[in-house]
Amino acid sequence: MSSQAAGSSSGGSGDGGAPRRNSRKPKYSKFTQQELPACKPILTPKWVISVFVLVGIIFVPIGVVSLMASKKVVEIVDRYDDACVPDNTTDKLAYIQNSTIPKTCTRTLKVPKDMKSPIFVYYQLDNFYQNHRRYVKSRSDKQLRDASKANDTSTCDPESTINGVAIVPCGLIAWSTFNDTYVLAHNSKNLTVDKKDISWKSDREHKFGSDVFPKNFQKGSLIGGKALDPNKSLSEQEDLIVWMRTAALPTFRKLYGRIHVNLTENDTITVTLENNYNTYSFGGKKKLVLSTSTWLGGKNDFLGLAYLSVGGLCFFLAFAFTLLYLIKPRNLGDNNYLSWNRSPAGR
Amino acid sequence: MASERPLLDASPDAPSPLPPASSLLPPPQREPPLRAERLAFSVDIPDPFIPSSHRDHQPDPSASQREPQEGDESRAVFVGESSGAFVGNSIRTAKYSVLTFLPRNLFEQFRRLSYVYFLAITVLNQLPQVAVFGRGASVLPLAFVLFVTAVKDAYEDFRRHRSDRQENNRLAAVLAPGTAREFSPKKWKHIRVGDVVRVASSETLPADMVLLATSDSTGVAHVQTLNLDGETNLKTRYAKQETQLRFSQDGSIGGVLHCERPNRNIYGFQANLEIDGKRVSLGPSNIVLRGCELKNTTWAIGVVVYTGKETKVMLNSSGAPSKRSRLETQLNRETVILSIMLIGMCTTASVLAGIWLLNHRGDLEFTQFFREKDYTTGKNYNYYGMGMQIFITFLMAVIVYQVIIPISLYISMELVRLGQAYFMGADKDLYDESSRSKFQCRALNINEDLGQVKYVFSDKTGTLTENKMEFQCASIRGVDYSSGKDTDGYSVVVDDLIWTPKMEVRTDPQLLKLLRGGGTDEERMLFLEFFLALAACNTIVPLVLDTRDPKQKLIDYQGESPDEQALVYAAASYGIVLVERTSGYVVIDVLGERRRFDILGLHEFDSDRKRMSVIVGCPDKTVKLYVKGADSSLFGITKKSLELDIVRATEAHLHTYSSLGLRTLVVGMRELSRPEFEEWQLAYENASTAVLGRGNLLRSVAANIESSVHILGATGIEDKLQDGVPEAIESLRQADIKVWILTGDKQETAISIGYSCKLLTNDMTQIVINNNSKESCRKSLEEALATTKKLRITSSIGMLSPELASESAGITLALIIDGNSLVYILETELQEELFKVARECSVVLCCRVAPLQKAGIVALIKNRTDDMTLAIGDGANDVSMIQMADVGVGISGQEGRQAVMASDFSMGQFRFLLPLLLVHGHWNYQRMSYMILYNFYKNATFVLVLFWYVLYTAFTLTTAITEWSSLLYTVLYTSLPTIVVGILDKDLSKATLLAYPKLYGSGQRDEKYNVNLFILNMLEALWQSLVVFYMPYFAYRQSTIDMSSLGDLWALAPVIVVNMQLATDIFRWNWIIHAFVWGTIAATTICLFVIDSIWILPGYGAIFHIMGTGLFWLLLLIIAVAAMVPHFVIKAFAEYFTPSDIQIAREMEKVDDVNQGKRSEIL
Repeated sequence: MSSQAAGSSSGGSGDGGAPRRNSRKPKYSKFTQQELPACKPILTPKWVISVFVLVGIIFVPIGVVSLMASKKVVEIVDRYDDACVPDNTTDKLAYIQNSTIPKTCTRTLKVPKDMKSPIFVYYQLDNFYQNHRRYVKSRSDKQLRDASKANDTSTCDPESTINGVAIVPCGLIAWSTFNDTYVLAHNSKNLTVDKKDISWKSDREHKFGSDVFPKNFQKGSLIGGKALDPNKSLSEQEDLIVWMRTAALPTFRKLYGRIHVNLTENDTITVTLENNYNTYSFGGKKKLVLSTSTWLGGKNDFLGLAYLSVGGLCFFLAFAFTLLYLIKPRNLGDNNYLSWNRSPAGR
Repeated sequence: MASERPLLDASPDAPSPLPPASSLLPPPQREPPLRAERLAFSVDIPDPFIPSSHRDHQPDPSASQREPQEGDESRAVFVGESSGAFVGNSIRTAKYSVLTFLPRNLFEQFRRLSYVYFLAITVLNQLPQVAVFGRGASVLPLAFVLFVTAVKDAYEDFRRHRSDRQENNRLAAVLAPGTAREFSPKKWKHIRVGDVVRVASSETLPADMVLLATSDSTGVAHVQTLNLDGETNLKTRYAKQETQLRFSQDGSIGGVLHCERPNRNIYGFQANLEIDGKRVSLGPSNIVLRGCELKNTTWAIGVVVYTGKETKVMLNSSGAPSKRSRLETQLNRETVILSIMLIGMCTTASVLAGIWLLNHRGDLEFTQFFREKDYTTGKNYNYYGMGMQIFITFLMAVIVYQVIIPISLYISMELVRLGQAYFMGADKDLYDESSRSKFQCRALNINEDLGQVKYVFSDKTGTLTENKMEFQCASIRGVDYSSGKDTDGYSVVVDDLIWTPKMEVRTDPQLLKLLRGGGTDEERMLFLEFFLALAACNTIVPLVLDTRDPKQKLIDYQGESPDEQALVYAAASYGIVLVERTSGYVVIDVLGERRRFDILGLHEFDSDRKRMSVIVGCPDKTVKLYVKGADSSLFGITKKSLELDIVRATEAHLHTYSSLGLRTLVVGMRELSRPEFEEWQLAYENASTAVLGRGNLLRSVAANIESSVHILGATGIEDKLQDGVPEAIESLRQADIKVWILTGDKQETAISIGYSCKLLTNDMTQIVINNNSKESCRKSLEEALATTKKLRITSSIGMLSPELASESAGITLALIIDGNSLVYILETELQEELFKVARECSVVLCCRVAPLQKAGIVALIKNRTDDMTLAIGDGANDVSMIQMADVGVGISGQEGRQAVMASDFSMGQFRFLLPLLLVHGHWNYQRMSYMILYNFYKNATFVLVLFWYVLYTAFTLTTAITEWSSLLYTVLYTSLPTIVVGILDKDLSKATLLAYPKLYGSGQRDEKYNVNLFILNMLEALWQSLVVFYMPYFAYRQSTIDMSSLGDLWALAPVIVVNMQLATDIFRWNWIIHAFVWGTIAATTICLFVIDSIWILPGYGAIFHIMGTGLFWLLLLIIAVAAMVPHFVIKAFAEYFTPSDIQIAREMEKVDDVNQGKRSEIL
């Protein structure tokens, strides 16, 4: 443990046994006498007020900057899970599970403000518990990286093998990879969605093997999601890599691709999408999101507001404490305040 | 060495050694077998005397063989024959062997209930259905804690093994079987009962042995019992004349020895030896114990009677007593609260999980993140129906939230106490220069109790006083001689050498004149008798030491009782010098004339009789009984009718002496007629050879002979107060610690000591309870109670707090109660009354109390209040009290080491109680309290963060934080700073704490650890966990954030927050604390880096990824600030507007520092 604790065992742990008298006089040092030079901070009014003011001074500008950054972000969110099911469908689950029915669906989006490239294309799932315990555990990181570990599927239940043959990549996560696809057009001209580098570089290079290929995948009786191209190595299957970075919260976005074109206000974008992914069984929502980005990430006013509130609160506290100190001043270190000097007022 | 030999030591070659120094002595008798027979020689008593005693001692061989075996009460040892029937002499203090270490150590560790809890959780986690953490990770914290403790234990045991081995392999000279005087070396561990061992000077004794012969012709051996009871003075042991002579004649050895079964009484031994057809009684003065060192004796031969673990020293080496500190007991209450919280959280999680499953029960099959079925088997996978699912969730929740009961707390507390013990031991203010003794922490688990003491029970002699006695006053035959002034050292001339007593005592010139022939012969005789009684009636041994001048020698009187030493030195200063003592006689130089007195019998002091006596055969062939003892005891056996005047005058003097604070003794004498003597001798010999019940027999013999004595006079001995005692008591009382003195002394002495150590003052109202019956005790208690009530009412007029009133109104009460009354009060229904009275009194003095009564008084307070009690004492009579009190402090002083062995803390001086309680106690309490609360708080913060997350995972107990981080959080990420702060932080400097003893009150009032503070800490934990969790939650809502990245933020943020909290609460920042607080945050970051660099874990690379975003850093900043705002506001507000005394004292220190223009603290 610490150097002090180690040093102390010689002094303290002598138990019972032979009495140790005539011990040597303890050596004087600032350490052993617990007199190391030290700083003794005290919350004087000056300190308290300056701390609050300082925090306020730092936080309010950060809040303003963050809020401005968030306001600058232009975001188009389009929920399509309901709209893309024909109106007359009563059993949405049966509809989505029936692979014979064509699932193509067209959506039109309007650009509310100018959007500068790169524009990020996300899909957003609501109510999808990618952090569900059964789900997050159902993967095999060894198998994903190492071709020789293909049979290492013990952690992948209930999606580990089919007829005794290991699935690569195994597990519920891979099995349920999102498989809706979007084709975007702008002014009847196709917008290229760049799907390269949507995943983390570290994942591509170290976590998903370039010599590991999908095997026996999506062959079970229940199709969970996207089928992978068996001729592409896992490190190239970026949609899978993105999907397998499981989301922290039940409402999440995942990067679908990037558009390297600037969009202007009131542009319309036509999205032709394949509505394959089943969120109907648990009432999940699917949304397509187009968004620009700033240094702070996507659109989220929360951080700016939080900074502004904390900063404001600190200013208020500085003010309140100033008032209190003025109303009820006290001399610091005045021994008249010691309880035994205070009490018998009458005497 | 040689110079220290007794005067009459003769060279072993001389067959009949003639004492060179004294021609006055009768020719030494040839090998007298028994003391009584020696008497026949020296006082020339006619023959018929002998046979009677002899006949009596003719043992019936068959009877003696049978007797010791009955009742299995004794063991027979055949001298010179190794016996395998008893345990060997190898000792073993080590607890474990290589093989048994693991199971035994684990067993010891799991005796702690909390460890069983953690083990249960670890086992639970191994069930596949509820496995939350991976196998390796889940075992880690428990394994870590067990490992650290095991390493500590193993190291300590290794040291014990090493010393055991050294000890067992030491060599001793053992008589080879069948030979005479042929000693061959043998390892200690091979020595058996019955072996005859030869020990040379300064060698350590390998086992408990009965002395058979020594280099001294009279069979005297001196031993130093430092290792046994810590006393440095020499103790005299004797070989029996019978064996001594036999050995010196032909080196033969033999006989059968019957002795008691092994027991732990160091000061008791009963045995008899059958040799040459005679039965010789053996007592404690014939046995030398293992661990002692032979001194001033060239060699000694003894027969081993107890070996190995049956030796007295081993039987007495029980470890330090185990007590539990108050904080640890209180901590259990909070642990229960936390357990309820834990169950609450687990229930919430499992119920919510149940509801979620219920709502989604139709959807589970096709929901991608659940998928009920395993299609390879077609059965449900890991789903057992609703009820079971709820149950499993509950168990899993227990595993996830287990850290709310901090596993590292127990080991942290141990380490902190170790550190605190180190600093207490290293404190130069607790080091006693005079006895060269360091402060020792013997019990390692009650350091913090030192900060909460409310009652101090103190022994007087040796604790408040130095126990270095100084002879002050003498009253002889009713005349007081106490105007001692000069110290003209008196010396005797022996062989042209000048022998001077080591210590000089002031003498009264008038008395000196009278002694040297100023008065009538009759007067002179009486004075002489008085001093002869002082010189002879004791167990003091004179040792002769060399000085630089070869002509000069020093006489050093060594003995077990400091009172006796003082008396002998006093007698020597008046010219009656004890020159030599053997088992059979003393040589006293009476005003230049050497005389030999035979000691025919000695009745030892015991606390029932309260006196001791010797039967002396004088050179003028008379037999006299000298007796000295307490006044009450002696006046009871005087012939009052005959010498009423003298008794009265002496009583008056005694009263004066004791009111001066002197210890008084009365000396008496009786001349024995021949028939009386014969009768006594018969009884005495019978009693002293009895194996069973010898003590009682001897006592009744003594009581018989000690009657109708003449009062010779009385003595007053000053027992000097130790340095700094009055100041220490004054400070303790200012600190609202009630000081009770429990002493065996008389009431007057006790009161006068009370005055001189400022415990009693003149403005106190004294309530004295001193009764001889239960009824009168009841009455005086009731009166006392009425008095206290009256005082309380009068003083509380115009006062709000009665407690303050009695303190500040100047009407303080002092209760003085004596042991007699206590007999009627303790353990009866009157106890309650006494308790009520005693509580109202600020001072309580108990005089004439027996050891067990001391413990009873401590128990009186301990059992009726929650107040912490501390007992401090130095003697064997304080042991029961020390063990009874919450905190026992032993003074390593003159009275041996038993108190220290029984104590929790030992030190050299009473005044060290001040730095111990006011400084270290205060610090320890403050540090430990804070550390416990902080540990609860920091773990609760973390667990609550985990809990909030579970609300967003469909209640499935997923942790975004990696399992490694969540397990390392309590053992690694946050434990080191609290340990270091628990060892090093100080709220106030030593000087301030000593200057304002009232600051000690914070511990007495439980100010630093109580339920309110616990709740406050929990509320802070709640707020901080909300900030830590929800700031990122809202900031990352509807974003691409992944679990591992957010988990890293949620792992790092609480570490930063709880360290910030610690940082705002630290009083003194020295470099070590800086290093640990900031180092921990850095270490946590490094750990996260390492964990996220393992590709096999899902979180690979996450921390590097998220640290690359600005949002992460902005979140950390706002979390740290927003989490700390309430704590900071509360602290700033409380410290300024409702400052505690400690806070004001801190400000005073700061102001002083600033005024002196210094930054660093200087005491």
